Amino acid sequence: MLMTLPTLPDETTETDAERALRFENDALPYLDQLYGAALRMTRNPADAEDLVQETFAKAFAAFHQFTPGTNLKAWLYRILTNTFINTYRKKQRQPAESGGDSIEDWQLARAEAHTSTGLRSAEMEALDRMPDSAVTEAMQELAPDFRLAVYLADVEGFSYKEIAEIMGTPIGTVMSRLNRGRNQLRRLLADYAVEHGLIPGEDDE
Amino acid sequence: MSEPATSAACEHILEQLYQFHDHELTEAEATEIREHLMACEPCLDRYDVEQALRLLIRRCCAAQAAPETLRMRIRTTVTRTVIVTEG
Repeated sequence: MLMTLPTLPDETTETDAERALRFENDALPYLDQLYGAALRMTRNPADAEDLVQETFAKAFAAFHQFTPGTNLKAWLYRILTNTFINTYRKKQRQPAESGGDSIEDWQLARAEAHTSTGLRSAEMEALDRMPDSAVTEAMQELAPDFRLAVYLADVEGFSYKEIAEIMGTPIGTVMSRLNRGRNQLRRLLADYAVEHGLIPGEDDE
Repeated sequence: MSEPATSAACEHILEQLYQFHDHELTEAEATEIREHLMACEPCLDRYDVEQALRLLIRRCCAAQAAPETLRMRIRTTVTRTVIVTEG
């Protein structure tokens, strides 16, 4: 022990106070990001706060098990996700998973992509004029697993492998959730655009 | 005539477009996509829409600052744990 000058904290010799300080320095900076994710998961600020507080309490309790130098952000998201699934999701009314098989969805999107280029630029125009609230509301309408996958990929920039670890699923499932979530999102936004006159509907020529 | 002759190639590209956006393809696969996108306007349009959609999602769902009271509560939890276990 006299000879060791560890560069990484040694969990066997680290005092509780040292660990608490390390936790504050390393883990607490992710608070805003985790809160943002919790808001998307729970869809209300009170539950999001509870979820984040419970996540940090669990993370701190298990912090001696975390291997320093590995991906702390992904580790925290994993605890957040597990806590959400085990605690909050049970008491929340989930929106019905919108039907449709993933392959069907994907092929539909594929077919749609090959309609005229005019429609594509109309879609671009619609996206430019899309209010933020329409996007956040469309996100809220996705099934929880799809929403989380899209959030982790598009907002947090996690890789498929990291999302698979966070959600505890194979990479193939992550890809399928992303495909379905994004396709649903596109469709919801397209509906919004037609309803609010951001792009002409099929009736208009 | 109006239908591109390369639709099979396009389908192949579109299948991989999400992975391309997510930087989950190998360099060789990504190069193949880039070359196709440069030559195929419908696929490039599709790419642009996908890109715009992602930027929109990121902007709209960007992390909001957590309430200061929550930060305080968490710090208190951590500190109290230390005092209790050491005291």
